[in-house]
Amino acid sequence: MNKIVGKKIFSENVVGLDIEAPRIAKARKAGHFVIVRVDEKGERIPLTISSADSVKGTITLVIQKVGVSSRKLTSLEPGDTVLDIVGPLGQATHVENFGTVLACGGGVGVAPLLPIVEAMKKAGNKVISVIAARNKELLILEDQIREYSDEVIVLTDDGSYGRKGLITEGMEEVIAREKIDHAVIIGPGIMMKFASMVTKKHNIPSIASLNTIMVDGTGMCGACRVTVGGRTRFVCVDGPEFDAAEVDFDEMLMRLNGYKAEELKAAEEYSCKVANK
Amino acid sequence: MANINTDRTEYLKQERSAPWREELRKSKKNKERTDIHRVEMPSAPPMERARSYVEVNMGLTVEEAVVEASRCIDCPDPTCVQGCPVGVNIPKFIKNIERGEFLEAAKTLKDTNTLPAVCGRVCPQEKQCESNCFYKIKMNREPVAIGYLERFAADYEQNSGNISVPEVAPSNGRKVAVIGSGPAGLAFAGDMAKLGYEVHILEALHEIGGVLKYGIPEFRLPNKVVDVEIENLRKMGVKFETNFIVGKTATIDDLREEGFEGFFVASGAGLPRFMNIPGENLVGILSSNEYLTRVNLMGASRSGMDTPVVKGKRVVVVGGGNTAMDSVRTALRLGAEKATIVYRRSLEEMPARVEEVKHAMEEGVEFLTLCNPVEYIGNENGRVKQVRLQKMELGEPDADGRRSPVVVEGSEFLIDADTVVVSIGVSPNPLIPQSLPNLKVTRWKTLDVDPDTLQTSIPDIFAGGDIVRGGATVILAMGDGRKAAASMHEYLQNKQ
Amino acid sequence: MVDLKTKYLGLELKNPIIVGSSGLTGNFESIERLAANGAAAVVIKSLFEEEIRMEYRHSLSKGLADQDSNLDFLDYFDYELKHDMLTRCSALIRDVKSRLGIKVIASINCSSAGEWFSYAAKLEEAGADAIELNIYRLETDVNMSAASISERYLNIVKKVLDHVSIPVAVKLPPYMTDTAYMAGQLAALGVKGLVLFNRFYNPDIDLESNRIVSGQVYSNPSDYAWPLRWISVLSGKVDVDLAASNGIHNAETAIKMIVAGADAVQLVSAIYKNGAGYLLDILTGIEKWMKARDFKDLEAVRSYGRSLKPADPGQFERVQFMKYFGDYSI
Repeated sequence: MNKIVGKKIFSENVVGLDIEAPRIAKARKAGHFVIVRVDEKGERIPLTISSADSVKGTITLVIQKVGVSSRKLTSLEPGDTVLDIVGPLGQATHVENFGTVLACGGGVGVAPLLPIVEAMKKAGNKVISVIAARNKELLILEDQIREYSDEVIVLTDDGSYGRKGLITEGMEEVIAREKIDHAVIIGPGIMMKFASMVTKKHNIPSIASLNTIMVDGTGMCGACRVTVGGRTRFVCVDGPEFDAAEVDFDEMLMRLNGYKAEELKAAEEYSCKVANK
Repeated sequence: MANINTDRTEYLKQERSAPWREELRKSKKNKERTDIHRVEMPSAPPMERARSYVEVNMGLTVEEAVVEASRCIDCPDPTCVQGCPVGVNIPKFIKNIERGEFLEAAKTLKDTNTLPAVCGRVCPQEKQCESNCFYKIKMNREPVAIGYLERFAADYEQNSGNISVPEVAPSNGRKVAVIGSGPAGLAFAGDMAKLGYEVHILEALHEIGGVLKYGIPEFRLPNKVVDVEIENLRKMGVKFETNFIVGKTATIDDLREEGFEGFFVASGAGLPRFMNIPGENLVGILSSNEYLTRVNLMGASRSGMDTPVVKGKRVVVVGGGNTAMDSVRTALRLGAEKATIVYRRSLEEMPARVEEVKHAMEEGVEFLTLCNPVEYIGNENGRVKQVRLQKMELGEPDADGRRSPVVVEGSEFLIDADTVVVSIGVSPNPLIPQSLPNLKVTRWKTLDVDPDTLQTSIPDIFAGGDIVRGGATVILAMGDGRKAAASMHEYLQNKQ
Repeated sequence: MVDLKTKYLGLELKNPIIVGSSGLTGNFESIERLAANGAAAVVIKSLFEEEIRMEYRHSLSKGLADQDSNLDFLDYFDYELKHDMLTRCSALIRDVKSRLGIKVIASINCSSAGEWFSYAAKLEEAGADAIELNIYRLETDVNMSAASISERYLNIVKKVLDHVSIPVAVKLPPYMTDTAYMAGQLAALGVKGLVLFNRFYNPDIDLESNRIVSGQVYSNPSDYAWPLRWISVLSGKVDVDLAASNGIHNAETAIKMIVAGADAVQLVSAIYKNGAGYLLDILTGIEKWMKARDFKDLEAVRSYGRSLKPADPGQFERVQFMKYFGDYSI
């Protein structure tokens, strides 16, 4: 049982929760994630730890409402509890002074990007952040990203905020004028696929933080398997970060759609249930 | 690894000479006993049970149990005990059933077996105690149904509400940690608690029980049976902490700093294995771990539960062990129109328990033996739609005496499948070895331990169960737990 | 300066010397030495179906604890072994490709189709420049005809070809009834090269220890006669590259093979016996001969070879000793 001690509404679809989890807060490093189960009936879902306070013993998760589980989670208020949280899971981000780091965050991918940007800056890197979303509502954590970046470029698909364009355009612009030593790419699968193509084209070593379906998160079931460089890896224990040039994104996207039909159905049922309360 | 019961002969003789045992033996002539036929376990009707999660084996009635117990002739040298990995005093518990002392029978079981309700259901008795029964070896007849009787006694105790809680020594002020709450961990915890230690079981998942909960389905081992045993341990003072991954949530060093003096690694063999053949990453192809965890642990088959599971119409399960049987029978219960086992050797060579195979056949599972997948073919959405199989034939024997499967050239054919469950075995969980580079590991990636003490290459760390044995049985895991408790106790006493 | 460059399986080799699949090509350090001494390419130690089966049997016999209770764990354990082997092999290929400037040919040794075709694909992904298939199994079934045996091979090869895009070579067994036919069929399927020939493991009987043991491992210098014959026969007849293997123990023999029409030669026993430095000796020997005869490149050498044939066209086809020796009596 973990108590929620803080809540921040970033936008209609994106919520941040501060949750009591002293051991996790203490052991956590940038790049780690947790698996959360809201209640007895809940699914186990992976969520990146956006930040942690080891003194207060809390971790912060930033959640986008996509399905039943995330909706349940984001409807909780301070004082409520979450039934199960386990972590910190995954391999921590490899941080060193690379030189100039290009941090690319798409949509809610900016939340897991934030701790990495912070760590990279603290390690002495020059950090250029390119963040993008479909529209203004889905853009989050811009100020927090700015705090740890030497430069920030913001784009939206529809131009409702910042520049109009796709994240890859922002990346290309930066790459044209700066020598980039390392890139970090986090966002929806399709965004990561195209962003990786850009960095690969320019021979920039880059890592992508993958978000696959997970069940246990401890390496037990293989639901999160991806092919990286021709080998099968488990995102929950070998990842979540992998060499972006080696990831088979097409396979990953195909596997992400595995439960789409059930998910959509469940989300509809849940919405009906909530509406009829 | 040595069997615990080698010096039990004196003790067994002593128990056997108790007056009530003598009296009971005299009460019936041996010929009367041996004339009785072995009881048949009533099982739920196949076609109905294949669509529900009711426990398939329904258990013996009191009358059936007493009659079956009377078949046991209380041998002067009980060979059945030699077949038991933990040396349960089998004649004693069976004779207690015969004289109507069912709670005493349960107590006898618990002297050596921490989880009798579990073992009575999942032990392969036909390879252990029952295969050594006098009836089998001397008369070539059906052995005494030791397994059914064990289950009967354990269930009776559970249902009576009079569950015996073993005596616990006064606290000695020392703390030990158990990593994993499966059968090995639970058995270890019970024994250490009895010795007065403060025992903390640290479990990675959100439920206690390990493979007993996530691996073995409801229709073979109901979760509530496991919960009663766990509750008993709580009563003995054992502390449980879930959502705790040693090596991630806290390291062994952290725990040492918190005062833990000994560690028992019982994290099991929970790493799924795949065949690494083309198409294996298509949607709809899962490891048996994922499939069973979704259903058994996350309740995916129950309405109102959020976790989904692939509900295929044409399910193919690759493998021939108990997990494969569990998976294919689960597929039926999830509504499959056709559920098929694909196994590369013959039916006789399947590792699964004969009873499980029988139940599966009764329920309508199709068996394609001497077949092996070489490739999976998907549709335009990336979902599996067919499996390419090739026929096998049996070649020369391997080291274990089983004939090895050899490909029949040019025998490939396709079958339809929208779901495939890969159930070819599991490997030891790598989390602990990864977090402790000094821990010696064998070529099979299991933990290397001293066979007599179960101590690892790190002195305050002991290990047992599947993490040491590869995927083995519940009873062996329990035996390890008990053995490690004895060794760790000695180690800690000497350390002072 | 003579030009030793040759083209084999569509790969540009700096010279015709390839070190064949063996223990010499099973680890990075050894391959590094071979490369330093002039090897233009190596055939990585084979992914061996037989070895996996033996390792599997070994695992079973060592068991873990109780045979019966571990059956689930060990039943399909050979897949783990195959996977481990493949992973190691792929890592070696990657290493060699990225750190040493030589060509890498991956080798698969199997006698059934199984899932080996998928392994060839994985080796391609690991960066192998080509694949060498060694698919021979001694058929002792008295009911199996040559035709069905040959058909089986062709099916296996076809399966592999369907799944890789890098060039595939097939290492042939020395004593087939229809060597010429098979060469033609394989070429028609799209195989890019033939390696003539495989060297068999030979069993022997040890009368002292009363056991059947492994016989002589290394090839004899005189073994070169058979591959020489077939290189000569097939060269120009079939549209595939030819690599000579077996019994090439010195520069002279290597030269003879090229004269006969080989595009490359594979060495194993000679290196085992004489060390990696021997490669340099052979290369020097070839160069010296070419300089002395004024051949500026290997094509000139082959052209010279072609000029030798018309004198007695049937010479290499002759197998029976004829009158020339028939009159010889003691």
